[in-house]
Amino acid sequence: MKTDSLLIRIGLGFYLVLFFTYLLGPLVLMSITAFNSPSFPQATPWEVLTFEWFNVLYNDARIVNGIKNSFIIGFFTVILSVIMGLAGALVLTQIWPKIRATFYTIIIAPILIPGVVLGISTLVFWDRVNVMLGLPNDSFLHNGILLTVLGQSTFIASYCMLVFVARLQRYDLGLTEAALDLGATHTQAFRKIQLPFLAPAIGSASVLAFLASFENYNTTTFTFGKYPTLTIELAQKVRYGINPSISALAFIIVCLTVLFALVHEVRNRRVQLAIANGAPVGAVTSGFKLPKIFAGNPVAVVLALFVAVAVAVISYAQFYDPEPAKAIILQEKRAAQQLRIEELQRKLKDKRLQKNLKGPDIFNEGKSKIPKLEEKKQKTPFGSGIFSPNNLNKVAPGAETPAPAPKPASPFGSVFDPTNLNKVAPKE
Amino acid sequence: MDAGFIKEFFKRNGVGMGWFLIIAVGFWVVVLIILPQISMFDFSFRNDLPPPEIGGPKDVYTLKNYQYLIFGADGNPDGYNKTDLAVFGKTLLAAAFVTILDLVLCYPIAYYLGQSTGGGMARLFVLLLIIPYWINEILRAFAFRIIFGDSGVINEMLMVIGIIDNPIDFVRENIALYAGLGYAYILLMIFPMYNVIESLDRNQIEAARDMGASWIKIHRRIVIPYAKPGISSGCTMVFMLSAGALAAPQILGGPSSLWFTQIIYQWFNQSVNWPQGSAFAAVLLVTCIIIVLGVMRLFNVNMGDIGK
Repeated sequence: MKTDSLLIRIGLGFYLVLFFTYLLGPLVLMSITAFNSPSFPQATPWEVLTFEWFNVLYNDARIVNGIKNSFIIGFFTVILSVIMGLAGALVLTQIWPKIRATFYTIIIAPILIPGVVLGISTLVFWDRVNVMLGLPNDSFLHNGILLTVLGQSTFIASYCMLVFVARLQRYDLGLTEAALDLGATHTQAFRKIQLPFLAPAIGSASVLAFLASFENYNTTTFTFGKYPTLTIELAQKVRYGINPSISALAFIIVCLTVLFALVHEVRNRRVQLAIANGAPVGAVTSGFKLPKIFAGNPVAVVLALFVAVAVAVISYAQFYDPEPAKAIILQEKRAAQQLRIEELQRKLKDKRLQKNLKGPDIFNEGKSKIPKLEEKKQKTPFGSGIFSPNNLNKVAPGAETPAPAPKPASPFGSVFDPTNLNKVAPKE
Repeated sequence: MDAGFIKEFFKRNGVGMGWFLIIAVGFWVVVLIILPQISMFDFSFRNDLPPPEIGGPKDVYTLKNYQYLIFGADGNPDGYNKTDLAVFGKTLLAAAFVTILDLVLCYPIAYYLGQSTGGGMARLFVLLLIIPYWINEILRAFAFRIIFGDSGVINEMLMVIGIIDNPIDFVRENIALYAGLGYAYILLMIFPMYNVIESLDRNQIEAARDMGASWIKIHRRIVIPYAKPGISSGCTMVFMLSAGALAAPQILGGPSSLWFTQIIYQWFNQSVNWPQGSAFAAVLLVTCIIIVLGVMRLFNVNMGDIGK
């Protein structure tokens, strides 16, 4: 019996490790690629630590524009979905019991309907309305922001509704009745009694709605029109050629997520600690006493460490210059490349010698150059533009000359871009 | 009866609040949910016409968009539209496969979390579970593309160990796609199961164990029957979302394999034949609903359990 439970424990531990590797491994690896210098995102082989991809990201106008659109759409989606979700939940609690199940099915259905279908139906419907009203083709009903907000709110309101239903289950209707008995109007009773009770749910529904809107792709891809959101821009980038600046963005999002999760957890634990110690919640959540939050709260310590590391990395990035290290790698690569070329040439010479021994063959002379070139192309294992076959060919003729000495490191990232390299190589 | 209900509704909420609720819910249910779906179905029975001819004599109902899905274009020698139907079938099968994969992967952790006492370890796990879910869907797919690429970590590792000589094309084999889709919906599988298992009385398990039930028997006879609503709710969501996924197949799908949503996308954005695309979307929607309702009937769960 005892060995049996031990076996289960080992199995469980192994499973947990595997599971969380699957869950977090991709994110960790993607984050690593943001700091590696090759222009195709890869974690291995590791070359040089670099921060340039963050610069590339910052200067990408389409990404910045996408973020702006995402925020605009997210803002309106949150407002619309929270209002509709709240109304839906309130109606659900008091609707005629016979149609309650039907009503619930209808307002929960948007979660289950494929996002693609929601996007298409929104697009088609408002297009029809546009035709029916006889509006021109570029009327406000074809505005990408409006359509996206409407399409996304259709299902995000269902998420919000679920949050509100969960909260309303704990609401005592007697409170509203008491307020009405004391002479409050219905609106007053709602605003002063029920709304404050629902405030935390409104907060979490808003966060949920914003996140859902921000990351939605399936619906938005049909409705965005002239206003691509961040997700749309990312999808286009990922589909047609990728570079590590996307990893850099992913890294930033991962960090923000971890940060928010930690802050949330710290607050939760503080409140729990306070309740455990018998203190009123307000006493702990209002005042901010620095030393106290660390007391018995390991998450707070982790959070503080996290922030400290972030500050350290950012300040390090200010004066860190990857160019010298990059130059060394470049040199190593070239040396390896040259060795390979020399070896190839030697082999070719040997072959030619052997063939010459067998007898001169004029036709092969010409042909033999073709495989040589092709072989060289295949042998470049680096996806980066620096060593694209064209560059290689320019360098190759001067195979005897040593690799050009790296220029003195400069703070400008462009010194070592491929075009400069071409200018340098022939001179030496 | 109906009128009485409406009177009661206004009496309970007051006139202002009552109208607000009716307008907000009405807008959502009628204008955002029901009418667009009806108009999509309506559109799928129409001809593909240029805007000036809409409402004209040629604007009549037709079945040809659905006929196209089944029989292909006119004069198709095969008799059936084999390409699109094959993609459709493959999408549903693959979605079912992803659902089962997620179920097997997530059941143990849902059980572990649900039966743990909620200590620091369990809370950490929940936190770790939520973090990947907050990352953009596109970025998650992107991460898998980095991992499974030709010079990705997995290929590099296998080559260093010496198991393989040449990189395996995980993308062409669709392994990357299944891994990415399964990854995307882990949380939606875990939480419904976790919520149900959490409310299971631990004494039941203790009692079964005391009476000599084996580890497998406990799960088969006690935990799984009890967790059925959670399991089916999780499976429903994962199945619907993977069948309707668009981003992951676009990014991780092999060049030769299409997902049904990608065909719909092509009808809309490349061929610009909206009625045809609407017909395909309608077929996808109806099929998914039928499958889900069938599974629910099979396992005896109702709609109210979904989304808990």
